[in-house]
Amino acid sequence: MPKVSADKLEPGMRLARSVTRGRLLLIAKGTELTEEYIEKIRAMGISAVYIWGPSHPAIPKEEALAQLDRRFRFVGNRPYMDLLKEVVREHIENLYD
Amino acid sequence: MINISIRDLRRRVEGIIGLPTIPSTLRQISRVIGDPSISLKEIGEFISNDPALTSKVLKIVNSAAYGFPGRISSVSHATVLLGLNVIKGLLIGVSVFELMQNTMCGLWEHSLGCAVASRLIAKKKGLEGYEDVYVAGLLHDIGKLVLILEFPKEYEQAMEEAEIKGITIFEAEEEHFVTNHAVIGSWLAEKWLFPYNMIEVIRYHHKPYLSKSASIETAIVHLSDILLRAEGLGFAGDPFVPVVSPVAFEALHLSKMDLREILEEMRDSMEIKEELFLS
Ligand SMILES: [Fe+2]
Ligand SMILES: [Fe+2]
Repeated sequence: MPKVSADKLEPGMRLARSVTRGRLLLIAKGTELTEEYIEKIRAMGISAVYIWGPSHPAIPKEEALAQLDRRFRFVGNRPYMDLLKEVVREHIENLYD
Repeated sequence: MINISIRDLRRRVEGIIGLPTIPSTLRQISRVIGDPSISLKEIGEFISNDPALTSKVLKIVNSAAYGFPGRISSVSHATVLLGLNVIKGLLIGVSVFELMQNTMCGLWEHSLGCAVASRLIAKKKGLEGYEDVYVAGLLHDIGKLVLILEFPKEYEQAMEEAEIKGITIFEAEEEHFVTNHAVIGSWLAEKWLFPYNMIEVIRYHHKPYLSKSASIETAIVHLSDILLRAEGLGFAGDPFVPVVSPVAFEALHLSKMDLREILEEMRDSMEIKEELFLS
């Protein structure tokens, strides 16, 4: 769930968190952004909002997968650990697509 | 092996909260929540008197990861909605942040992620007490903090040994100390007057098959801990993924899709740290 700065927002992005001002709800989470909403956000001087989707990870994919192998190095063949590793691998790979 | 009997160790752990190495807020919190005569209302007032504490507690319960529908705007509101155990747990959770950062960096993220994942699994399993499972997840490794504060050199050695031998920190602890962080954590949970089920979850989160009265809750925290390490989020004392208990895993009966969703929420929950402590 990345935080996207107001000048990089595009129509079609969906809010992962509500945009609020103090306790006032301005745009509810889950809302799909339109040109109007984006203008509104910029006009209010809000610098960034949370958008649905994977955050961009800090390390390259190959390194992330190598680290995954290292973490599972001693347990990869134990019951259910192969299944867990596979799910995590898919999840990590998805962060990069 | 540290030369101390289990009884002396327990006395020392229970006394640790009074030591000068513990920040005064945490010492005070421990005293307040460990006092059986203090009411929920009084605990709420205690939080409200501390603006920093108030803001952190409210930020956590209003965070996306907590997923409470609607906004909780005051501590008194939070105490009514979430109940005593959650409020006590959050108080400890936010007040150990700095200590964890300075002793085992990443343990706080590990703890918070475990809380969020545990709560989600508990909800999926239809458990009514999912808030208590959240708190058990949040505090499950608090024993590590105590061990590392009390025995910094020995704990450092245990961590090194775990990495060299390819064992988990839990296994290394048992070689260096008369007991392990799970048991120590359960002593603290008892001292802080948490319900019996929660004490049992903390005590057996690495041996879920030993839990009698809270086996599903224990299986949940056991699996959440493993998922965090599998995903590589936070740090819990060693770089390896512990083996999941097949019985616990089967009891939870989660689909691949469930697991994916849990991993996603865990990752998202990491963002609250910035909101809480860097802003
Ligand atoms: Fe643990
Ligand atoms: Fe853990």
